[in-house]
Amino acid sequence: MDYSLNEVELIAKRATRGAGYVWGMAEEAAKATRWLCSRDIDGGSELARLLKRELSQNPGKHIPIDIKGNWKGMEILCPLMVGAALSDCTVRLKHAPIVTGRIASPAILLPFGANAARALKCNISLECDGFKSITDGIELSAPDEFPAEVDTVSVRIGDMLGNLRAHRTRAYPAQEGWGVLETLADKTYAPATEQSRLLGAGAGLSDND
Amino acid sequence: MNPAIKIERRHPFEVMRLKRLGCLHQCRLSFMRILTRRMARENWCFTRHLFDINDKGVGRAIYTAHTTERPYSLVAFAHDLPDEMRSDRVIAQAWDATFALFDGIPKPDDIDRLEQNVPFQEAGRLHESELSMSRANRSVRLWNHVTDALAQGKQPDIEQIDEVGYLMRTTAVYGSGKFGTADFETISARDELQAPFQAEMLSVYLIRAFVRDLAEHTASIKGGANATRFEPALARRLGIGNSTGLGMAPFLVHHPVLFNNWIMVREEAIARVRALETANNEECDTFHNMLKRSLLSVKQWRSDHPVQVEKLKQLKADIHKIEEFANRENLQQKHPWNRLMTWSANTLTEEGQEWLASLILEPYGELVDGLASCMSDSNRDAFTIDGAMSVQEARALIKESFGWAIGIDWSAKENCARAWYVSEEKLEPRLGERFEEDIFTDASNDFEQPLAPARDGIAAYKTLEQWDSKKTVAEFLLRHPEHRYSIRRAQISAHTPYGEIHDNTISATLLPIDMLRAKLSFFGATHFDPRSDRWVRIRMYAGAPYPDEINEQNADLWVYPEAAG
Repeated sequence: MDYSLNEVELIAKRATRGAGYVWGMAEEAAKATRWLCSRDIDGGSELARLLKRELSQNPGKHIPIDIKGNWKGMEILCPLMVGAALSDCTVRLKHAPIVTGRIASPAILLPFGANAARALKCNISLECDGFKSITDGIELSAPDEFPAEVDTVSVRIGDMLGNLRAHRTRAYPAQEGWGVLETLADKTYAPATEQSRLLGAGAGLSDND
Repeated sequence: MNPAIKIERRHPFEVMRLKRLGCLHQCRLSFMRILTRRMARENWCFTRHLFDINDKGVGRAIYTAHTTERPYSLVAFAHDLPDEMRSDRVIAQAWDATFALFDGIPKPDDIDRLEQNVPFQEAGRLHESELSMSRANRSVRLWNHVTDALAQGKQPDIEQIDEVGYLMRTTAVYGSGKFGTADFETISARDELQAPFQAEMLSVYLIRAFVRDLAEHTASIKGGANATRFEPALARRLGIGNSTGLGMAPFLVHHPVLFNNWIMVREEAIARVRALETANNEECDTFHNMLKRSLLSVKQWRSDHPVQVEKLKQLKADIHKIEEFANRENLQQKHPWNRLMTWSANTLTEEGQEWLASLILEPYGELVDGLASCMSDSNRDAFTIDGAMSVQEARALIKESFGWAIGIDWSAKENCARAWYVSEEKLEPRLGERFEEDIFTDASNDFEQPLAPARDGIAAYKTLEQWDSKKTVAEFLLRHPEHRYSIRRAQISAHTPYGEIHDNTISATLLPIDMLRAKLSFFGATHFDPRSDRWVRIRMYAGAPYPDEINEQNADLWVYPEAAG
């Protein structure tokens, strides 16, 4: 089944929140997932694979201890937290690459690299464990498949775009990943009760005339 | 026209209060009027491809708008709905009629596919070829009167028509990717859909034509050879109703750039007119003419809600004050519109002030209408946080929007009595009582949606106060990701002064209908009739020409009724 990109964004936001991330990070996850889908990468499945790791249960362990040198965490890094920090630290890329330690779902870093590329008006490359992706913020050259985790990612300015990924206006997520997102999103919905209908929606008054 | 003084736009402190937002009225920049002006200017053609409705009123119909570039088709399904199932709240399961706006002219297999999905609304699934999905129910009272009268060869009673105002009432008009429809981004480069909600407004415009035709068809079945059709002027008085619940309220908070653009454009229009040094006779005549006509509209505006009853009383009194003050002598003085607005700020209620602010735009289409192209959100990068910003700058931005909220005790029950959440029932937004409802008192849940930007902004502000002013936002957010939401909004607000509501959206005294009205006024809705503090009925397109009669003369000022007969 195909989905609109707004549907992708909404389910990604709710699922990330349902997985225990704060709303500001859920928004980042939503935009990132949408960006991946619009570049013909199954962002929904990438996000689902990440959220299943439950890194948000102990977020302090999965963020860079310090952003001055190489970005290493106490445990495997969360690409949403690292991606947000990467996007926030864009100016640092002017001076030196940003190199991370072990990190989950590195594909999720791509949209944040794209933020940096648009802000700096240059190409940004993300290289890890033998695969390389390049973006100018709009276009992306990247492989079809991404590993579940890598030992390091190096983000730097430069390099030429290669074969460009197609732009998509719809998403075609694998059902399994989408199902994971739906299950997590369900955690953000309050149960339907008569009390909710009456108090919450102001129902109970006839609208039939 | 000779702008001789510089008038600033009104300050967000003044404009963005909920009480004022809950008094906004339609104006030249309302989305319905933007659309109908374009229809006439570009000479759109309209065709009815199909009207296959049986004797029970069940069937399908297709209405196509041929714009200069491409056609759009309303695909309508008429149903036989038992009376007991007729509820137009979002929680309903079946409707008298259901609709989709198709991008182009649908082929038979498209229509078959839509028939398998559109009647089920939220339970159905649409494609990228559909731009909106909606539904409508009859006003049984007026429907029966109108079809009975027409069946007997008589025209319906004008008072009954004005009393209700519509034969059918829509609820949700879904678009922008919902339930699989096309994302706005895929159509936003088209001139005719660039302004906000144009696909949705076109849907409702065509629905109104379908409903008129369906009523005449029903009358002809009932009355046979005796039946007659509407007098065109009488049919024009009918709009389409709409019942709107809480779903609209979060929209304003979730889209600060868009909301800013709507408000800022209207404020810019008001400032431009206020800056005019003189008003000529023709401009004064237009103003007085619309003043007179809008009084008719206010007289037809009915509501039983105590808040609206009081507002209406005040509005009528305010209009009389305007009639006295805005005489020709006063309008011939220098800077007449600025004088009028300054006077109104000290004399009228907010309902009257905003009514006047919209009305002074009417003589100045050339000065105002071009602003419509600035009402969409095209700033794709507004979302991205600038991590290099200093803590000091971030603090200042939050203070600019929410300085008024720093002294509020956000732990006091009355200041956080409400909580916004999403119900699993159709995933609709609702507003709960934080200290009373089970869904909040159970600490293992956290269903609250991020719809209290003032509270959350102040929490971020207080944490920022404990940080070195020279540190960067990037450093701050690494340690405090919980404030990412508020920092983003603060940075967006640097470019969108009207993006934040300057009021508490979770207070015990919040009236969500104020938020609904603010949004609906930009659609161009009239006759706001709150049915509780959480949902409101309105009219759309009442007075507008139908597709077969629209032209440059009648495409704009239809919102102001003319005296009957």
